[in-house]
Formats: sequence, structure tokens, C-alpha cells
Amino acid sequence: MFTTLLKKELFVELRNKEVILSMLAFGMSVLLIYSFSLSGDPKINHEIAPGLFWSLVVLSSTLGLHRLFGQEKDFDAFASLIAAPIDRGTLYLAKWVSGIMFLSVTELLIILPFFLFLGLSLPVSFLPGIGIVLLGNLGIVAVGVIVSGLAMRAKMSAVLLPVLLFPLITPLLIASVKATTGWYQILPFSHWQFWVMIMATYVVIFGLAGYIFFDHITEE
Amino acid sequence: MSLLFQDRLTCGLVIVTTILMVLNLYIIFVITPIVPEQHWAQKIFYLHVPIAWTGFLSYFIVMLAGILFLLKKDTFWDRVGLAAAEIGTLFVILVLITGPIWATPIWGKPWVWEPRLTTTLILFLIYVGYFMLRKFGGHPERVARYAAVLGILAFIDVPLIFYSVKFWAPQFQLHPQVEMVQQPKDILKPFLFSLTTFTFLYILMLRFRVRVLNFSHQIKSNNV
Repeated sequence: MFTTLLKKELFVELRNKEVILSMLAFGMSVLLIYSFSLSGDPKINHEIAPGLFWSLVVLSSTLGLHRLFGQEKDFDAFASLIAAPIDRGTLYLAKWVSGIMFLSVTELLIILPFFLFLGLSLPVSFLPGIGIVLLGNLGIVAVGVIVSGLAMRAKMSAVLLPVLLFPLITPLLIASVKATTGWYQILPFSHWQFWVMIMATYVVIFGLAGYIFFDHITEE
Repeated sequence: MSLLFQDRLTCGLVIVTTILMVLNLYIIFVITPIVPEQHWAQKIFYLHVPIAWTGFLSYFIVMLAGILFLLKKDTFWDRVGLAAAEIGTLFVILVLITGPIWATPIWGKPWVWEPRLTTTLILFLIYVGYFMLRKFGGHPERVARYAAVLGILAFIDVPLIFYSVKFWAPQFQLHPQVEMVQQPKDILKPFLFSLTTFTFLYILMLRFRVRVLNFSHQIKSNNV
């Protein structure tokens, strides 16, 4: 059932590219603002790059997360979806995994302009960085799907989503920035492994919470 | 006023809390010693810490009420959760006000990214979202479920926020780190007394607020 739901999410996105396009367009606009607002000194940019990257990701993700339930809401299809004999936890997992995929694709498209516009040097090793970004995405989307579900049927869903999301992901954001800084500045792993552990704990806790509570969130 | 003296327990609670609060203020401002390096600023500690304790206790009650609501589907627990969230947020605002009042003369600036203060601020922001969700969430039954889930998530997030802020800015570990049991007795005893007084005040406030919300629920039910 999970595969069917995931395919549905991917199929809908492939057809209209709504989530990725909105995140990408917004991300590029924010990146442009960063480029004009910062001093242009590559040394300063190098120091603050991890913070800029994660704030860019978080800001862009709000648009994508808002659209995660957008199709179902617009076409009033959510009632039909939850009327189907599907475990709600599985529905959460499908939204979670698809959300991570959309966010990762957006990051993949935005990372090169990010390095280019801010005059940043490329990192020495890519693999740990990819791991950190994936872990960060897991955490953001784990909470994002819950919050998006909570805000979906509210009057001011577009406003509610960031208001609820940003404070909830603060520990993840701090840990992601710290871990990325450690990796990008080539510090030994022992210096930033604590942050990776915080990220992993966050992902496990909120992933489980989403799986358990999604039933209560989606109930009509 | 009739609400205050509706039953014996409430009446007793009002009398005990009033006496305790008057005594507490007298002890804080007249009896407790002035710590040489902090002077009068230290007096706020007898209010600031019990207020913070009450705020966090209240948010714990929100989580507990949320769990009970999701399990039992009894709207009474939703009203307990709402009452606790309102009172908790009131106390958290007081923490965010009294903290900088104490910090200005002691640390030389009103705000530093200290873990306890920062955790309180983030928790406050989560609860701003909580009240927005309650206001704009839509159908009351659905909002009750959403609020219960958010109340649980907010409390689960507390240790993660605390530890991430603590290690994010280790230079800001300026909060008094001494364990309360290690404090001299002439400070510890008034502090514990203040803590008890504020806990009584909290129980009383929660009892009243839940009662008001119950009345409001009854009126709405009768009108429907």
C-alpha cells in the first residue's frame, strides 16, 4: 500500500510539478536577496554559508509543505483518500518520503547557484554533506507533514504553517547548521557528531510521533 | 464573585492561596537576606523561578490533557488543555519579562541566548501558533484534536530545544548553575515556600478557568 501511495504522490507531482517548482522559484528568489544583501566577501560568506543554506531550505520548504496536501484540498479529494481502507500511518509515511524526495530534488537544483552566487569554494568531501542534508530533510519533512496536516483545513493555512513549523524545528535547525559547519570547515567528526546525534534523535522522535498521531490529524 | 465560593474546596483553596501569597510577598521583601553581589535584583529570583516552574508545569498538563483527550475523546480534557495552555502562556510571558529584569543588572544586558530563557521563548512561540490553530483551525471538534496533538509535540520538543541551545552557545551558560539543595537555608526555605505558593495559585487558576470553560460549553450546547 505504501508503494501505491508513494507512486500516487510522485505521479501527481510529475504531472504538474507544483511542489518542486514553487520551492525552486522561491529558493532562487531568496538566494538572489542573499547575494545582494551580503558583503560579497567570500571569507565571510564561507563562514555563514551553512546558516544561509539551511535558512534557504527552511524558507523554501514551507511552500512545498503547504502544497503537500494542496491537491487533495483543492479537489476535495482528502475525504475520499481517508475513506479508503488505508492505514493512516502508511499515508503519513508516503507523504513523508515523497516530501523528502521533492525537497532533495529542489536542493540539488539550487546548490550549484548557491555556491556560484555566494562565491563559495566547493567542499573537500561530498558524502558526509549529503548525509547531513538528507538527515535535515528527514527532520524538516517529518514535522512539516504533521504541521501541514494540522493547517490544511484551517482558515489561514498559509500563515499557520510557518508559524507552527519554525519554532518546532528550531533544535533541528541549530543541529543542522552546526553539523554542516563542522563538515564544510573540515573539522574532525568528533567535533560535530553530537549535532548529528541530535538530528537523528529529532528524526526518530518526530517520525514516530507523525506515524502515531497522523490518524488523529486526518480524522474527519 | 459567587464563582469563588461555590463549594467548600474552592472556598478553602481561595483562602489558603491568599494567605500563602501575602505571607510569601512578606517573606520575599522583608525577611529574605540580600545577597551582596546581586543586591535587590536577587529578590526577583523568588518570583522568577516559581513562575517558570508553574509555566512548565502548565504545559506538562497541556500534554497530559492532550493524551487523555485523544484516548477518551472527552471534551472535558480539551477544556483542561485549553485552560492550562492559557495559564501556562501567561506565566511564560511573566518569565520572559522577569528574566530580563534580573539579567539587566546582573549580566549587564537584558537578553542573552541562555538555554533556559531561549527554551522558554521558543515554547512561547509554539504556543502562539497553538492559539492561532485554536482560533483559525475550523470545526471545534477537529481543533480539539489538533490542539491535543500540538500540545504533546510541543512538550516532546522541550528537551531537544534545551540541549541544542545549550551546546549551540556554551558561552552563554550564565544562569545560576548551583543546585537548589546547595543553597543556604535562609534562601532555600523561602524559595520552596514561594514554589508551593505559586503551585497553589496555579491549581486555583486552573480550577476557575476550567469551570468558566465548562459553563461556556454548557451554554453553547444548550443553544444548539
